[in-house]
Amino acid sequence: MSSITLRGLTKRFGSVAAVSSLDLEIREGELVTLLGPSGCGKTTTLRLIAGLELPDAGEVLFGDRPVTRLPPERRNVGIVFQSYALFPHMTVWQNVAFGLEMRRESPRVIRERVGAILERVQLRGLEQRYPHQLSGGQQQRVALARALVMNPAVLLLDEPLANLDAKLREDMRFYIRQLQRDVGITAVYVTHDQAEAMVLADRIALMRDGCLQQIGSPEEIYRQPRNVWVAEFIGLSNFIPGTVAGSRDGQLVVRTAAGTFTCTGRVEVGREVLICVRPEALHFGESHPNRLRGTVRERVFLGNLFDYRVEGPGGLHLRVQADPSQALPPGGNVTVSFDPSAAWAVDAGEV
Amino acid sequence: MGGLQETWAGRAGVSAPVRLPTWLLIAPTLVLLAVFFFVPYLNVLRMSFLVKPPVGPYLPEFTLTNYARALLDPFHWRVMYRTFWLAGLTTALTLVIAYPLAYHLSCAPPRRRRWLLMLLLSPLLVSVVVRGFAWMILLGRVGLVNLAVQRLAGHELVLIGTPTAIVIGLVHVYVPFMALAIAGALQNIHPDLVQAARSLGATPWVAFWRVVWPLSLPGVQAGTLLVFVLAVSSYVIPILLGASNVLVMPMLIVQTLLDAFNWPLGSALSMVFFGLTAAVIALYLRLLARAMRWTRA
Repeated sequence: MSSITLRGLTKRFGSVAAVSSLDLEIREGELVTLLGPSGCGKTTTLRLIAGLELPDAGEVLFGDRPVTRLPPERRNVGIVFQSYALFPHMTVWQNVAFGLEMRRESPRVIRERVGAILERVQLRGLEQRYPHQLSGGQQQRVALARALVMNPAVLLLDEPLANLDAKLREDMRFYIRQLQRDVGITAVYVTHDQAEAMVLADRIALMRDGCLQQIGSPEEIYRQPRNVWVAEFIGLSNFIPGTVAGSRDGQLVVRTAAGTFTCTGRVEVGREVLICVRPEALHFGESHPNRLRGTVRERVFLGNLFDYRVEGPGGLHLRVQADPSQALPPGGNVTVSFDPSAAWAVDAGEV
Repeated sequence: MGGLQETWAGRAGVSAPVRLPTWLLIAPTLVLLAVFFFVPYLNVLRMSFLVKPPVGPYLPEFTLTNYARALLDPFHWRVMYRTFWLAGLTTALTLVIAYPLAYHLSCAPPRRRRWLLMLLLSPLLVSVVVRGFAWMILLGRVGLVNLAVQRLAGHELVLIGTPTAIVIGLVHVYVPFMALAIAGALQNIHPDLVQAARSLGATPWVAFWRVVWPLSLPGVQAGTLLVFVLAVSSYVIPILLGASNVLVMPMLIVQTLLDAFNWPLGSALSMVFFGLTAAVIALYLRLLARAMRWTRA
C-alpha cells in the first residue's frame, strides 16, 4: 500500500491530448474516484497509473518510488477491468493463483493465500468453476480477489460495475467500499456514474477534457462546485445570474434580475456570477431569507417528491423539489425562498 | 412446438408466421452429401470386397484379397508413411508461418486488416495448377531459386522431384487457410486479458504463452485439421512438384484405379487410407482436447 502522486502527467493520442498536465495526489489508504463524462481522460489516467500506457510527459510515483517508465508487471498494481478480464481457460482457483505463480511463490503459500482471499470474497466452493459458469457478481468478485491476492501497492478499478444490473450494482458499491476499507488499500476508481462516485469515494476527482476540474469530498464537490461545469455535472442545479455587489459577514451580496440575494462563495466583488441553488434547497413559503415570487408552470410526481418548474421574475426558470405533502397546483403564484448557506456563487467567466 | 402454435393461431383466427424447424436449413447440404458422397463411398466400400477378374472391373463375389494385398505390401506402407509425414510437416510449417501472420492480422486496425486480408486471400484467385507450374519454374534447374543457389554456393540444387519441393508448394497453398482460422480465434481474445496478465506480473512473452496461445487453440485446431486433411489428400501439387518421383497415397490410388485398372484394390487402398487418416485425426484431437478442456465445461 502506498500513496500515488501524479505530476504534470500528459498523454496525447495523435493530436488529441487525452490527459494534459495532470497533478493529483492520492493519499495512502484513500479511495479516489476519477469521475467525468466519456472521453474526459479518466480511463487513460488509470492506464497511465497502471503502466498500460506510457505518458508523453510527467511522472507517476507510488510513495517515493518513481514508476513512470516501469512496465505493468513491475509496478505491483492490482487492476479490475470493466470486462473483468478473467482468463476463460482457467478455473476460479487458477485465475486467482496466476499472479502468485508469476511471482514464483511456493505451492504452500499459493494454497494458503488463494484460499484466504476466496474466503474473503465468499467464493469458497466455486474454485473449480470456469468464469463462464459464474454470475456477473461472482465474476466481479473473482476479479477483485485476483487483484487483491497480490497485496498490490494500489488497486485500480476501471468502471468495474458497468456490466452489472442496477440492483446488483447498488449492492456491489457498498461491498467494494467495505472491502477496500478492510484491506486498507489505496484505490483509484474510474466511473462516469456520479451516484457511484458519491457512495464510494473519500474524494472525487472530477475530470473534463483531460484536465482536473476539482478534487474534494463528495460533499465539497456538491456544495461548493468550483465552476458552472462542475455544478452542472454533479446533480441538478438552478443558476441565477447576477453581479457581486458586496460582501457582508463572509457572505456575498449578489444583485440579480430577480432581486438581491445573499449567498456563499469565493468570488471577488464586482464579478459576474451564477448562484447555484440545488432544487431541494428551494422552499415554498417565506421560511428563508432569500425570497422571490414566481408562478408554478408544471408539476411532476416522482414518488418521494414533487418536481416543480417555477417561472420567476425576469424569465428565470427554477426547478423546485419539494415534499409531496404540500401539493401546489400549476398556474398558482408562489413565493420561493432559500438559505444563504445553500446558495453558492461561482464565477460566470470560469467555465 | 411450431405445430402447436400454428393450431392455436388457426383457432384464434390469427395468421401466425409459419415456423419451420431449423434442421431444414441443413437439408440441402445433407441431400447433396448423400447423393454425391455417402452413396459413392458406400459403393467404393462394396467394391473393395469384390473380386478383380482378368478382364473387366469386378465380379460380384466377396473376397478379402484386396485388403490382404493393400495391407501386406510393404511398398504401400512406405507410401502411406511418406504421405502422412509430408502432410504433417506441411501442417507444422504452415502453422509456424501462419500464426504470426494471423496475430498481426488480428491486431491491425479494421481498414488495414481488410487490405491485409485481401492480400492474404489473393493467391486463391489463381488455380492451384497454375501456382504449381509457377513453383516448377521457380524451383527448376534454371529457376530463380537455383540460379541464386548456384551464385552463392556454386553447385546445383535438385528441388523438383523431391519431397522438399512438394512441401514448399503445399505450404504456399495452405497458409491462407491456416491464417484465417487462427485469426478468427485471436480476434475473439479480449485485449484486456493480456493486460490483466501483465498487471499480475507476466512478461509479454509469458502472457502470450499462458493466455493468448491457449485461447487461440480452437483456431489452431481448426486450421491444422483443415490443412492436414487437405495436404494428406493433395494430388496436383505432389504430381507437379514431385515430378512423379515422389509417390503419395492419392497418386498411388489413382494409378491403381486408372493405370492398373484395378478398381477393387484401389477401393481397398482408399478405405485403408481413409481409416488411417481418421485414426491419426482422432489421436490428434484427443491430445488437443486435454489442452482445451475449458471449452467444454
